[in-house]
Amino acid sequence: MLVKMVMELEDVPGQLLKGLEPIARFGGNIKSIMHQRERKTPLGRLPVMLIFEVRDQATLKRILAALKQAGVRVTQVGEREGEIVNTVLLIGHIVHTDIRQTIDQLNTIKGVTVSELNLAVGNLGHESSARMIIAADNKERSMLAISKLRDIAERKNLLLVTSIEAV
Amino acid sequence: MRIIIVGFGNLGRGICKAFVEKADFLRKVHGLVPKVVAVADEFGAAVDENGLDLPQLLKTAESYKTVARYRGGRRGKLVLDLIDEVSADLVFELTPTNIKNGEPGLTHIRRAMQAGKHVITSNKGPLVVAFKELDSLARKQGVEFRYSASVGGAVPVIGLAKKLLSANEISEIRGVLNGTTNYILTRMSAEGVPQEIIIREAQELGLAEKDPTLDIDGIDTACKITILANAVLGMNAKLSDVKVVGIRRITPEATRLAQEAGQMIKLVGIARRDLLEVAPKLVPLGHPLAVGGTLNAVTFKLDLAREISITGFGAGPRETSSSLLGDLIDIHRALGG
Repeated sequence: MLVKMVMELEDVPGQLLKGLEPIARFGGNIKSIMHQRERKTPLGRLPVMLIFEVRDQATLKRILAALKQAGVRVTQVGEREGEIVNTVLLIGHIVHTDIRQTIDQLNTIKGVTVSELNLAVGNLGHESSARMIIAADNKERSMLAISKLRDIAERKNLLLVTSIEAV
Repeated sequence: MRIIIVGFGNLGRGICKAFVEKADFLRKVHGLVPKVVAVADEFGAAVDENGLDLPQLLKTAESYKTVARYRGGRRGKLVLDLIDEVSADLVFELTPTNIKNGEPGLTHIRRAMQAGKHVITSNKGPLVVAFKELDSLARKQGVEFRYSASVGGAVPVIGLAKKLLSANEISEIRGVLNGTTNYILTRMSAEGVPQEIIIREAQELGLAEKDPTLDIDGIDTACKITILANAVLGMNAKLSDVKVVGIRRITPEATRLAQEAGQMIKLVGIARRDLLEVAPKLVPLGHPLAVGGTLNAVTFKLDLAREISITGFGAGPRETSSSLLGDLIDIHRALGG
């Protein structure tokens, strides 16, 4: 799981290391570190936002306990809402039923974009197949996009094949 | 144990071959001596209260296409008479599946239970049409009822589910439950050949029925999902409750597009309390359900164990006899044997 965490560190040398060591010790894989100098607290502490990957909730708990023990103040922690990428297939008369409009309709959903389209045109009279990658800001939007695509597919008589992980 | 076998196609013969092959093993390990006292097929029956000579019976069925030619055998519709009158402990109901009304299997099973005989079946028809009725009839009559071979062939889907249920709650069952469609999809994806050609070859190899509609259109998988919903999730589901899409529209190009994205197209059945569905799905390579060829695979979602998956051969008389024999041993044990 990806974790987003904000810790407030004193603005003196060696503080960042104190905050990172417990994460590394429990196998966390740090993806990004951002100092938020412009948000310095009245007490002169410096918020640092981290994004890291841990195996599970239990590991995160251990990291939090270790941080507390090291005297690191954690002010925010949560699962990061990251980009959710969904691969789907469409089979049918994709071009004749206006693929452009299908894509446009998905793109009108806030936080959703069709980021890739691969089309294999069938032989004359046969159905075509397409692979579409739909990126969404979060799970809800991703589900909304799939459900909208399902409606469109039904209307245009296309077979929609979704990932087993999207069920 | 005295046994009546109804239906003597591939599965009926398969279980008899297993009785012959495993006779010593069954006696030594389980103290079980199966004695087949009557066998019926669509043309007639063979009966011997002292136990039929199984190698001879198999030879007769092979040569004459009916057991009626076995010495002392008779022609005619004799099944119900056998079930009622022949002294036996257990009936194997192995006639072909009829999803419309479950017959003739449904009547066979009812009559066997009413006659106080335990029942083992591979027949999906009666289970899809009347699971609740048969389940309660068995209880009422105090007889054992097993149907492992109806889902997953040799893969012990129902047996494992019941075992897992003793400590877990099962929230979802997903599976690749039809070997024929899995074979077709696997070959389409490997060779880029159109579906019609692979179906024809599969028919020649005996992997697809003459009329493969039930497989291709997902109905066979939907039957299995219905059975799992009722037998494992405790639902009261009908076949018509399952949302079904088959693989007819899957093109070789679609399987290639999937492959390029690290996915396989599989016909997946899903049983959840709020969803009964059969549809082609994208399954990532390396996923437990990403099995090739004629294999079946099932994943259970559980509260304690999280996920458990099994895979194996979903069809074939020898493979399926593993499930049928397993049921028999299970009943033998349940009866204190």
